[in-house]
Amino acid sequence: MKKAILYVNQFFGQIGGEDKADFAPEIRDGQVGPAIEFAKGLDAEITHTIICGDNYIGSNTDEAVAAILDMLKDKEMDLFIAGPAFQAGRYGVACGTICKAVKESRDIPVVTSMNNENPGVEMFKKDMYILKGGNIASRMRKDVKVMTALCNKLLNGEEVGCADDEGYFGRGIRRQVWLKEPVPASQRMVDMLVKKLNGEPFETELPIPELDRVEIAPAVKDLKKARIALVTTGGIVPVDNPDRIQSASATRWGRYNIETADGLKGGEYKTIHAGFDPGAADADPNVITPVDALKVLLKEGVYGSLHPYFYSTVGTGTTQAEAQRMANEMVPYLQEDNVDAVIMVST
Amino acid sequence: MRLELGNFHVRDIAFGDTLAFQDGLLTINKEAALAYIREDDRITEAGLYIARPGDNIRMCPVKEAIEPRVRPDGRSIFPGYEGELAQAGDGVTYALKDCSVLVVGRHWGGFQDGLIDMNGEGQKYTLFGELNNIVLVADTNEVFEQREQQKKNDALRRAGHKLAEYIAGCVKDLEPEETEVFELEPMIKRTSDVEKLPSVVYVMQPQSQMEEMGYNTLVYGWDMNHMVPTIMHPNEVLDGAIISGSFMPVSSKWSTYDYQNCPNIKALYAEHGKTINFLGVIMSNLNVALEQKERAALFVAQMAKTLGADGAVVAEEGYGNPDADFIGCYVALEDAGVKTVGVTNECTGRDGQSQPLVTLDEKCDAIVSCGNVSELITLPPMDTVLGELDALARDGLSGGWADDEILGPSVKADGSIIMENNAMFCGDEVCGWSVKTMKEF
Amino acid sequence: MVKEIEKAGFPIVQMCNLIPVAKTVGSNRIVPTISIPYPLGDPGTPKEEQWKVRYHRTKVALESLAIDITEQTVFKV
Repeated sequence: MKKAILYVNQFFGQIGGEDKADFAPEIRDGQVGPAIEFAKGLDAEITHTIICGDNYIGSNTDEAVAAILDMLKDKEMDLFIAGPAFQAGRYGVACGTICKAVKESRDIPVVTSMNNENPGVEMFKKDMYILKGGNIASRMRKDVKVMTALCNKLLNGEEVGCADDEGYFGRGIRRQVWLKEPVPASQRMVDMLVKKLNGEPFETELPIPELDRVEIAPAVKDLKKARIALVTTGGIVPVDNPDRIQSASATRWGRYNIETADGLKGGEYKTIHAGFDPGAADADPNVITPVDALKVLLKEGVYGSLHPYFYSTVGTGTTQAEAQRMANEMVPYLQEDNVDAVIMVST
Repeated sequence: MRLELGNFHVRDIAFGDTLAFQDGLLTINKEAALAYIREDDRITEAGLYIARPGDNIRMCPVKEAIEPRVRPDGRSIFPGYEGELAQAGDGVTYALKDCSVLVVGRHWGGFQDGLIDMNGEGQKYTLFGELNNIVLVADTNEVFEQREQQKKNDALRRAGHKLAEYIAGCVKDLEPEETEVFELEPMIKRTSDVEKLPSVVYVMQPQSQMEEMGYNTLVYGWDMNHMVPTIMHPNEVLDGAIISGSFMPVSSKWSTYDYQNCPNIKALYAEHGKTINFLGVIMSNLNVALEQKERAALFVAQMAKTLGADGAVVAEEGYGNPDADFIGCYVALEDAGVKTVGVTNECTGRDGQSQPLVTLDEKCDAIVSCGNVSELITLPPMDTVLGELDALARDGLSGGWADDEILGPSVKADGSIIMENNAMFCGDEVCGWSVKTMKEF
Repeated sequence: MVKEIEKAGFPIVQMCNLIPVAKTVGSNRIVPTISIPYPLGDPGTPKEEQWKVRYHRTKVALESLAIDITEQTVFKV
């Protein structure tokens, strides 16, 4: 039989209420509180229950996590569950925190549950399965049932369905699925259209996500002294593509020496970016990476100096995660060479 | 305009002595068909095969799909392209249903070519896995583009279009089993019952971003890069006015077969007079510079507004920078007071976490999503490969690669493959067939 | 990539054609280019004209790096 361990707070661990919120973490043999409810349907034996006060883990997070991971160190565990936390904010954050730590240290499935209003949702939904829970403790049975269903799929290696089907908060991963009822897009289109035209409610298949912003880096103080670097996602590479950068869905990048060049020559450089007509860039790579203009502007003293390499990869189909990784690999070279600012040319 | 499509349902296909159709069996004289194909002396080698649903056959690189059709009145089925210019969308056209002509390169593929499996796990990824296919596998003397990732595939594609008409010739003098009628009254002369209903235009954005000619979608033989949006009758799209291009990443592609059978248009027709007043088609395109995209959006919104459209559906043939055309048109229409629904596919990356469209706008609140370009697919080897499987890894197909540190090459020594959905031939079926959607996990 | 580089503290300007994409993705400094396949030089025009476009817009990009901004800014070319 597989083994699971449950984490609960001081209240559900039957220690006490608000007055016991500073309870330091303890591990109990067997099932305490909600564990008994879980045990009814779970395809694993709940061997232990961890109890920790919400204030304790909130104010002494690192110590609490370290202590709990230590308690778990020698325990066989196929699954870790926390909560359900309903709308209790400190509890929800605690569940998310400990689940994330256990997942990272033990690499086992972790599952928790909390209400939509719980701040723990926004903080942790991308890191784990958080089932959509009720807002009061009387929802315990229902929430445990839903959690158990998902836990069992994980324990039995079954495919986990999409967020809507299984009842968890979307983790920001979108995949294609075949509809159980194979309604073609043309019919879905007409249905959505007629509803929208008649002012009736409809559900879009592509909810527009919220956009993520970065703090504006302060401007260069004196351009005439500034060291500039050139980066491109237009796929400009030497004609033999020595770094074998892919034409789409790139995971590789290259840096190419432009210290002595007056510009890039067709026949020496080309573009490998699929998805647009390469003719112009192959004939004159400067139309994407304006090395020639940068060299002239340098001579004219418009800026201080040019970093001797340009950095190149391909933008089409490349995942945001890979693009982030590649950028983070390029950054140390720029830092090492005291680059002050960067020009990125995209296609 | 009134179009009558007379349908003949093909149950099976066989090679035989004569080109004929009887009781659902299509017989083709292979030698005669190939001799006809080889009249274009650019074709250096050609073979003809039959691929039925359930056959243990994989095809790659697939370049085009065409429904075999013929006009009893002698008009070319592709006027202005493979025949004299003439109005499409009017009169009688005969079609061989439940089958298609597929064009496969004997060796050389490219970004715009794809893969089809006729059985197993891979079968469901394309429509053509469900059809009886006449497969032309050929090579040409177009050496100039053999090693190019972007190919015009002109000789091969034209061979396919000609072959489709040639094969359908066998039903020219027969009586169709059933007839579909497509008819719309002139836009401003409709009955009061129809006028009461909300009016709708279907906005199409076929791929036309190559600036050199020979690659883009054609309308009556004209390169669609060289146009601004215009009004078309839906029957024209259904009756051979549009020829699929050879450029777009292939799961996003609308093959000629897709245009001939456009489910979105047929669905709007089915609602006409019941829930909507289907005005017609605004034929736009996809452009490569921001100003061109903005100009197209301006035209589309203006035409919709001038026609008095209450609603619009926008369908995009592509992902990546074409998303800007899609969102641009959508927003322009909404700003003009036209309630809009979009149909598209997404590119969320192999980890599923990238932004689904490269540009977004909260005004785009009604979208039908047909699939994910980035989905990773692994498939076992197949007994028969028509074409050359190595092309998937070697020739820069949109969903294949030569090597990857984690995944290895797209084509393994034993013939099994790992690829992105991006290379499934017309796989995302944005023209309306798709029974896939996108869900959050 | 632009955002990662900016997170590391480098002021960065994105030269691109699809302004709506750059804005959606979150680039702070943006300089428009003339197209996707040839951002800085239309091969359909004479070499001198291509050079003028490339020189001018690259200069605008450099100068944008030294201009203080408080929100996403598309610099005029």
